Amino acid sequence: MGSIKQIPVVEAKRTNPLARVFDDLVRFCRSRSLFILHYCTGCGAIELPPAMTSRFDMERLGIQPMVSPRQADILLITGYVSIKTLKRVILTYEQMGSPKYVIGICSCTVNGGMYWQSYATAKKLDEYMPVDLYIAGCMPRPEAVIAGLQQLMDKIHSGEASSWEDYYRNYDYYLGNQQKLFGEDWQTPTDVISEAKHYDLLSEGTLGDHTRLLEQHQKPLEALEMRLGHEQEEPAK
Amino acid sequence: MSATELLIELILMPLVAFVVGMMMVLMMRRIAAKLQRRIGPPFFQPLYDIVKLHSKKTQVSHGLIHDIGIVMAMGGYIAAETLLPVPGMNGIAEKGGIITLLYLMMIPSLGLALGVGQCANPNGSIGIARALTAMLAYDIPLVIVVFGVAYAAGTTNLIDIIAVQQAGGFETWGATQMPLLAIAGLIAMHASLGKQPFEIYIAPAEIATGPMVEMGGKYLGGLFVMQCFQLYTTSVLYVCLFLGGGTNWFDFLLKSFLVLAIPMSIAYLFPRYRTEDLLRLMWKWPVMLGLIGVAFVFV
Repeated sequence: MGSIKQIPVVEAKRTNPLARVFDDLVRFCRSRSLFILHYCTGCGAIELPPAMTSRFDMERLGIQPMVSPRQADILLITGYVSIKTLKRVILTYEQMGSPKYVIGICSCTVNGGMYWQSYATAKKLDEYMPVDLYIAGCMPRPEAVIAGLQQLMDKIHSGEASSWEDYYRNYDYYLGNQQKLFGEDWQTPTDVISEAKHYDLLSEGTLGDHTRLLEQHQKPLEALEMRLGHEQEEPAK
Repeated sequence: MSATELLIELILMPLVAFVVGMMMVLMMRRIAAKLQRRIGPPFFQPLYDIVKLHSKKTQVSHGLIHDIGIVMAMGGYIAAETLLPVPGMNGIAEKGGIITLLYLMMIPSLGLALGVGQCANPNGSIGIARALTAMLAYDIPLVIVVFGVAYAAGTTNLIDIIAVQQAGGFETWGATQMPLLAIAGLIAMHASLGKQPFEIYIAPAEIATGPMVEMGGKYLGGLFVMQCFQLYTTSVLYVCLFLGGGTNWFDFLLKSFLVLAIPMSIAYLFPRYRTEDLLRLMWKWPVMLGLIGVAFVFV
């Protein structure tokens, strides 16, 4: 989405003189403590173990792996995303807590890479969710991964890494691309529009034709049925 | 002691515990890094993590009990800190005694069980079931050990227990007087920290960090703070029971960091036991050692 830079940034009014210092501290801590959730879809995953373990040691930069989307800050997508995988990636992304960042590793996330002609692969990741950083290469070496993460750290510290806001501001665009791929009845458990209202990020791009389509067939979410033991429903004959 | 002094101590003791606890977390991660031939995190990493988690914009709450559970998990340890005498500050240790302290140390697990229960995540439920089973496993040797020490000192008052040990220097320490109880206590302490090989309820590769699976933002931040308190409470309790407390701060901190370094150095060399193996191990060896130790105390 090319219009990221055109969005007017509204500075929050701060009356406390220490607020700026505090904001700076928070941004610094955010950049120095990154929990990554690696969604290892393709061959790029093989470069992550050396980046984490004794050879390149990501932990000295404050980066450590986490296992659940609720805990993580970075969604690391390491390789090609098939259409079936992309659904899971979007579900995962929407469950992460903001501020959240997405990194696409390998050329497959940039333009489909060697799967360019595949009918089952989503070519460009940033059509479906805002991506903060691409690390190109087939596959990028651990040095490149760590250099990319350092670049992201600089972006977070300077406050530029705010693409998660873009998902709320231009939800209609992303949802439209998702619907094109998954069909018109595509729905995720997360209510993104309400979240956008909650964060005060509702803008012109949030609502549109595609969100109207979503609202037409949206089923209200219900809690899962509690069931004990191994009882299973009789399959319909 | 006047009411103002007591109030200052009650505020200062958890704060000191938090700062020392953060350094203990750092030590734990540095030991892990050294054993794996890595450099390890920078000095202020635990602080960065906690500040970042508390400054996340999304706070996914699953309901009131979820919120209260985290407060209980932290509050139990904060209350426990006021009962642990440190050099120069006794807080309400005299009035609380060691039995109250043991009860308070159980509250975090119970609070976590309440909070995780409302998340309705199956991984969380499995995790908390395992955490409570683990508590059942290590509490029996721990209670035997604490009973033995209290019987030998003739009191359940932690300040008196420390005074008895400090009376004759190294020779009257709990660890020299009751070595079997000290070993059993060390194993029980290791299990209560929930580190490998007793890490059955975190198990990131199997049940996705168990109780922490639905926690993000401030909730996870609260648990990180809880971990600081947990490391501090466990090691300081061991120092008070067996290593004669601390005569000054240097002495005290040195002992508590050294005690904690033993389970930490063992932890990162081992994989994980299964739940039933943990129960069998904890109810066999530390209990046996503890009972023989108690028998020696009676004789």
